[in-house]
Amino acid sequence: MNTSDTSRRKALGLALAAVALSAFATGAAAQKKTVEVGLIAPMTGPWARQGQVMKMAADLAIEKINQEGGIKAMGGAQLALKVFDAGDTVERAKNAAQRMVAEAPDLVGATGAYLSSFTLAVTEVTERAQLPVLTFSYSDLITSRGFKYVFQTSATGDQLAEGSLPALMDMAEKASGKRPKTVGIVMDNTAASVAFAKPIRATMLDKLGLKLTVDETFTPPLSNATPLIQRVRSQRPDFLLLMPTVIGDAKLLLEKMNEFGIGKGKLPAISNGAAILDPDLRNNMNVEQLEGVMSVVANWSTAAQKDIMAEFRKKTGEPWATQHFITTYGDMLIFRAALEAAGKADRAAVATALRAMDLATGPAQFFPGGRVKFDANGRRVGAALLIVQWQKGVPVTVYPPKDAVAAPVWPKQ
Amino acid sequence: MNTLRHRHTIAIVVFGIVYAAITMFVENSYYQLIMAVVPVWAVMGLAWNLFSGYSGLVSFGHAAFFGLGAYFVALAQTHWGLSPWISIPCAGVLGGLAGIVVGMPTFRLRGHYFALAMLAYPLALLYVFEWLGYQELTLPMQREAPILYMQFEDHRVYGLLALALMLGAMALTRRLERSRFGLSLLAIKQDEAAAEAAGIDARAWKLKALTLSGAMAGAAGGFYAIVLLVVTPAAVFGMLVSAQALIVTMFGGVGTVWGPVIGAVVLVPLSELLHAKLGNLVPGIQGVVYGVAIVAVILLAPEGVFWKLRDLRQSRRVPDDEPVAAAAAAPAADIARPERHRTGQEAVILEARGVSKSFGGLKAVQSVSFEVREGEILGIIGPNGAGKTTLFNLLNGFVRPDEGEVRLDGRVITGTRPDQICAAGVGRTFQVVKPFRRMTVLDNVVVGAFVHASSEADARQRAQEAVRRVGLEAESGRLAGQLSTKQLRLLELARALAGQPKLLLLDETLAGLGPQDAAEVVDVIRSLAGTGLTVVIIEHTMPAMVKLVDRFVVLDHGAVLTSGLPAAVTRDPAVIDAYLGKRWRAAHA
Repeated sequence: MNTSDTSRRKALGLALAAVALSAFATGAAAQKKTVEVGLIAPMTGPWARQGQVMKMAADLAIEKINQEGGIKAMGGAQLALKVFDAGDTVERAKNAAQRMVAEAPDLVGATGAYLSSFTLAVTEVTERAQLPVLTFSYSDLITSRGFKYVFQTSATGDQLAEGSLPALMDMAEKASGKRPKTVGIVMDNTAASVAFAKPIRATMLDKLGLKLTVDETFTPPLSNATPLIQRVRSQRPDFLLLMPTVIGDAKLLLEKMNEFGIGKGKLPAISNGAAILDPDLRNNMNVEQLEGVMSVVANWSTAAQKDIMAEFRKKTGEPWATQHFITTYGDMLIFRAALEAAGKADRAAVATALRAMDLATGPAQFFPGGRVKFDANGRRVGAALLIVQWQKGVPVTVYPPKDAVAAPVWPKQ
Repeated sequence: MNTLRHRHTIAIVVFGIVYAAITMFVENSYYQLIMAVVPVWAVMGLAWNLFSGYSGLVSFGHAAFFGLGAYFVALAQTHWGLSPWISIPCAGVLGGLAGIVVGMPTFRLRGHYFALAMLAYPLALLYVFEWLGYQELTLPMQREAPILYMQFEDHRVYGLLALALMLGAMALTRRLERSRFGLSLLAIKQDEAAAEAAGIDARAWKLKALTLSGAMAGAAGGFYAIVLLVVTPAAVFGMLVSAQALIVTMFGGVGTVWGPVIGAVVLVPLSELLHAKLGNLVPGIQGVVYGVAIVAVILLAPEGVFWKLRDLRQSRRVPDDEPVAAAAAAPAADIARPERHRTGQEAVILEARGVSKSFGGLKAVQSVSFEVREGEILGIIGPNGAGKTTLFNLLNGFVRPDEGEVRLDGRVITGTRPDQICAAGVGRTFQVVKPFRRMTVLDNVVVGAFVHASSEADARQRAQEAVRRVGLEAESGRLAGQLSTKQLRLLELARALAGQPKLLLLDETLAGLGPQDAAEVVDVIRSLAGTGLTVVIIEHTMPAMVKLVDRFVVLDHGAVLTSGLPAAVTRDPAVIDAYLGKRWRAAHA
């Protein structure tokens, strides 16, 4: 509790400092042109924390960009962030998007909106306003609608599943000397988990020769994890796909696994998404019980971002940066690159620049796969995934090797 | 009455024009969107109000209909390319069908159990749609034929369409409110038993109400899908959806067409603007302000803004009405006391044979037999707990006897529903008067007139006749809530009379009246009997009863103690011991 209080206070201090700083910056740069970019994310409601992390990232990135001289192709124009609260419902998110396009006509682009259902609604509005939007929501629906102004930087849910499972099998074989034969699934029924599990159940199990011995789906929030974990223990699969999206559920499930003697990596547990990697989890449970838990994510901090991470920890007091931070930070750098190419504060020109963009440096180091290029649908070409593992109380990237900060740990049976 | 009806129609038309004008005037697309969302929630509130507001059965589950409508429109467009111009009306039909399916089993439950059961439907549907894999559904953008798919560049069109939907819902509600439909539901809301006694088939009306209400909610949900373009289970089946329908209605006023509209017009933009303007400064503060606003309104106007405003207006006007009303009450006392010629050989109209009823170990009524002859006034007396009211309940079908049978005009009516017995010619009043306080005297009586009325006009005419017969003509335009106890008793009498019964069961009609008032009511009952009506009355006020009735049946411990002419019965020592007491003996010795 204490740590989180301190960090909250620090975050507040930082936010105040940022406000003061940006006020100062605007004052100083009154003569210079400013270019507005938008952030639309939940700033209130159950997902507010993620939205706030995204805002921290955007603020830090913009501060850095402006310090480095702004947009050089536009005579050093300064970037300015406009924040729109997507709230806690699809209706609110859509209203916020409408407000964004109606009240900020000078925006050249935006990033958001965290939950994929929010992003779907938001992009319905921005598409009609021809405002380019970058998003790290996983849903493949976002880029299957034939939209021209949405750019998905993350791998989609099914890509994550298809890319990660073979890698995990290899990892297991290398570490333990034998290939897993059985797998269990314990998941909630939210969109992200369902999208991840769908291709696994449909084709991948057969393809990889895996037998599904436990298959349990629950509705969050979970009140009692005992029956789920009991089934897992009695079947004892070679590894477990454990997919909660609510932090409280992750805590319940992991604690129960420890209680049943299959925690701490004894039965390897692999999740998807960042819920199971959240700093909140470390603050609220015994850190040792997290050891060895892995998750497949579309983004995380890698070896390439050491300096920025150090700065991030210093400025925010947060123990590590989640994917929301890395991606939003990278999005701002993408906008800078697009503006440099466009040479003017015009959303159509920025959209054109995004479509033509093909970068392997700069912003590219913030996105797994190392390339920023979008296909006709707006999907990032070569969007790869990362596997992150709790090691000594910190989630670190362990796969793929070129991005890894540490080597993966798999129990030798 | 007609001018009132016109005034409401004019008000709806004016409101529509003003809303349309504002919609056209708004340039900011964000405000245009809000202009389109407000009517959606107003229609949702109207749907809830049409069922819960009028029938009094609280539904926490209207999201079920809303969500089905929304998913239908989204899926129909995705899979069959069906245009919303067609699918939204279909969503309405679907919502109506869902109303029937939900209503049939759920109306077996009452009160809180009903409310809780309703809560289960949207929750269950939410998981069903998640299980079906519809976590997120988008309506494909139609670049070829946007207008065919209700996808307009100009957002004001959505506002106008939503307005049309809302005006339609308002007109329908308004029409139903004043009709047999609305009055029957109001009667059920006040007292389901009393309504059934007045000839209303409660179950059928409730089912009709839920069907129409479900249809409205389904259409609203369908349109919502078009506005939102993304449908998720939480967005359309979530608790917030059902709650929103409740909140806008309770805020604006339950049981009136204007309630949900006022609620939506005030609350939806308020919450959205607070979110937009205040939420940026202090995230979360908008929820606090919104909550405080709702709490304040509920404290100041517990029944909603509409009723509060109306009460304020009424209270300013009432003092002028008062003297007129008082003066008009007088004629009832002057009704002549008709001479009663009874041979005792008239045809038997009602007959009870060996009727018994036990509640657990308590034998409330034990093999009671008696007959009522045409045109007679029969008094039923007995100490408290003697089974008098239970006997009435057996006679009019509320309670089914364990043994024995009841015949009306020689036909067995045991086991028949109360509303059917009412239709067969048995009217009834209750110990505790249950007027519909917010309705006028005439409207109160109209509720009772529908049993035999062929049309609304006919019912109104029958009601006017009944009001005249009890001498309440002068009060017919007043609200029932403003009447005195005596007038309320007469009102209830009129309501029972409006169904044009052959036989009237009066349960303690004189209770709580002073001697003067009681005498006036007795005169009215006598005059009714003079016109050929048969009356069975339960009463404790013995002096009034002795003057009123032709014959007594005395009950004690659920059984008939004796029966006979007033003079004989009041001297019977057994009756005096069981009921009248020693003081009576001393006074009448």
